[in-house]
Amino acid sequence: MELLLLPGRQVRRPALKLCRTGSLRVSARIRRAYSSKPQPDIYDVVCVGGGPAGLSLLTALRANSATAGLRVALVEAQDLNKTRSWTLPPDRFSNRCSSLTPSSARFLDKIGAWSHVKQERVQPYQEMQVWDGVTDARIEFDWAQGATGSTIAYMTENLNLTSGLLSRLDELGGTTIFNAAKVENITLGEDTEDLDLSQWPIVHLSGGKQLAARLLVGADGANSPVRTFAEIKSRGWDYNRHGVVATLQLEDHGWGGDAMKIAYQRFLPTGPIAMLPMPGKFSTLVWSTTPSNAVLLKSLPAKDFIALVNAAFRLRTVDLDFMHTMTSGQDDELAWRLQHTSFVAEAIPQTVVGVQEGTIASFPLKMRHADTYIGERVALIGDAAHTTHPLAGQGLNLGQADVESLAKTIEYSVLHGQDLGTRMSLEGYNSERYTKNHVFLGVVDKLHKLYSFENGPLVPLRSLGLNAVNAMRPLKNFLMDQAAGKGVKLF
Amino acid sequence: MKAPTTPLRTLLRKPIPHPYQFLPAVTIATSISHSHNATFSVLNRPPPNYPGHVPLTRLERAALALGSGILSLRDPHRGDLIAALGEATATPYFIHRLHRAMLSSLTGRRILRDRPRITSQSLNLPYLRSLPTNTVGGTYVAWLDREGVSPDTRADVRYIDDEECAYVMQRYRESHDFYHALTGLPIVREGEVALKAFEFANTLLPMTGLSLLAVGTMKPVERARFWYVYGPWAVKNGLKSQEVINIYWEEEMETDVQELRDRLGIEQPPDLRDIRKREREEKRRAKERANGNPAAPAVA
Repeated sequence: MELLLLPGRQVRRPALKLCRTGSLRVSARIRRAYSSKPQPDIYDVVCVGGGPAGLSLLTALRANSATAGLRVALVEAQDLNKTRSWTLPPDRFSNRCSSLTPSSARFLDKIGAWSHVKQERVQPYQEMQVWDGVTDARIEFDWAQGATGSTIAYMTENLNLTSGLLSRLDELGGTTIFNAAKVENITLGEDTEDLDLSQWPIVHLSGGKQLAARLLVGADGANSPVRTFAEIKSRGWDYNRHGVVATLQLEDHGWGGDAMKIAYQRFLPTGPIAMLPMPGKFSTLVWSTTPSNAVLLKSLPAKDFIALVNAAFRLRTVDLDFMHTMTSGQDDELAWRLQHTSFVAEAIPQTVVGVQEGTIASFPLKMRHADTYIGERVALIGDAAHTTHPLAGQGLNLGQADVESLAKTIEYSVLHGQDLGTRMSLEGYNSERYTKNHVFLGVVDKLHKLYSFENGPLVPLRSLGLNAVNAMRPLKNFLMDQAAGKGVKLF
Repeated sequence: MKAPTTPLRTLLRKPIPHPYQFLPAVTIATSISHSHNATFSVLNRPPPNYPGHVPLTRLERAALALGSGILSLRDPHRGDLIAALGEATATPYFIHRLHRAMLSSLTGRRILRDRPRITSQSLNLPYLRSLPTNTVGGTYVAWLDREGVSPDTRADVRYIDDEECAYVMQRYRESHDFYHALTGLPIVREGEVALKAFEFANTLLPMTGLSLLAVGTMKPVERARFWYVYGPWAVKNGLKSQEVINIYWEEEMETDVQELRDRLGIEQPPDLRDIRKREREEKRRAKERANGNPAAPAVA
């Protein structure tokens, strides 16, 4: 409650200074005319968006004794009760999954949320096979011999993560949640007799509720209204590709069994296709492809869809291109082409035998980066700050790193008696995350471009590079340490 | 099958040993084809990938290409040497390019799937003779009769490692006479060279390109005709027409031949046999005039 009293006092001070110039009486009179208007509720942190980033931030703030005293609110447009009551039978998996790196998992554990995530639905994997669909050049990420079976990442359904975070947030309590609440508008507040909120963002909810935020956090996705309010431009381009997702059932538990799960990614000229392990015989598909191919994939009957997925990991690109011009019969075409195509069965995922009904979906892929993550009393996290191609499977992890950094920055401000919402206080967050994310987004963007060539001088060069990295164990270990968030911290 | 020689610790570490570590020994789900130049010793030749296949080392392949190339240039009637030259120089790249061209086309894929063979048995010549002369089948038999040749069984492909690419080479070889019929070029050296130039521009097979060295063995007047008439025709038509390997000849017998040429984008070159005939007659008349004996019988 002490903190709650603070905003009035702190903000009042500059207002009084202004008043010394003589405008006090005039402005006071104007202010009085508006005094019948509803007064906004004042919060230290208002987070718009209850996705993984927003929920993690609030959980991190509530779980830390230094920041637990802050008055925090969550505004979410969707009904969070659906997330709370989310449940699926053990043999059904949601199609939207993310790969959480060990550093993201450690952070979630630190804030007490990891144990709330249904662990029986989380699948760690220990090996990664990535290859070039044109030349078959390959890189294998597996821990060096002798190392104890280390996890590269954990495959988690996004809904399992958000419901776990929400459960942890409910357990911690103290967060005002505006559920299924639409943000009508975000404006700057007014300078009234009691409070000068003229520099504070006010979130207007449908129904007339107003929330004044010492710090307004935009965790509201790629089309962030918070970012628009803060007049922060987001730049980038559309990839003219769609990510097709689906939950697949394989013939067995994978070549390494349940103890040694493998993630696969093949770079096709239209975009990478990835198959990531889920518990048991299940896997999740993320296939970046052209919008027209995505339309075709979604329109195919299950057996032809399955055939095309199996083909995409096995056949030559010329066969795949042709099979994308067929409106049916991919099943039969694959059976014929498999007789004339050589591959090592153990180097690619096991054969897909089923696709779960209603899980085939697609979304457009974009690269966007906000000019800055902070403004006066505004901070952006997660997709609101940046969106990336899913080829590295790092979108959610970048968001978690943002959250960790912002939570640390807020903690610092609280411990040092600073106003946590000022640009000055937030500067640490921006400087810690912006460059790292920018480099990452750039590398992913260039990888996408590099692998979109089907022929030309870059094809042998990229294969040479991939094979070279594959042969250099120390370099590979370094890259894997980076991905796992161990060793020297670069990203 | 040879036992995989994987380090024991790898086997202990993972239930499934690393796939690439015993690639040469493992039998995979589908047929293994040595699409890349296999490296093996002549004392340890791998089993054939298809009946009649002879796996060659790189050195053997180079020697075959050189030997068959030199000998076939000296004696262009040795079809077996030209065939061997074609196979020895088809890899790397070229036969795979032609294979890809077939796989990108609906008809090409049907040919690869059905694998039809053109032999004297598979073609019903009496039926083809009954077709109107403007059809592909009619044109083909007319060309056979005019040239006095028969659709003999072409030699089987032996030196191409990938079994499907071997069929592509076989198909090219067996379609060769239809290219003659389509363009009307005769089987004399001059006609063959013009057709090889067309095939080189269209299929990019190195043997067809190497055959152009035979230009050097032609008579000056023929050579001039190649440089000014048939060469330019071959390059222009070979490049602008569709891939001729993707013609399902067996299904086109009743098609109007001009319609097929238009569909592919091929213009017929000047009739070489007519030109040569006129030339011979002019020469004969000139000779007679020189001898002052107009009543002498034809020379040739």
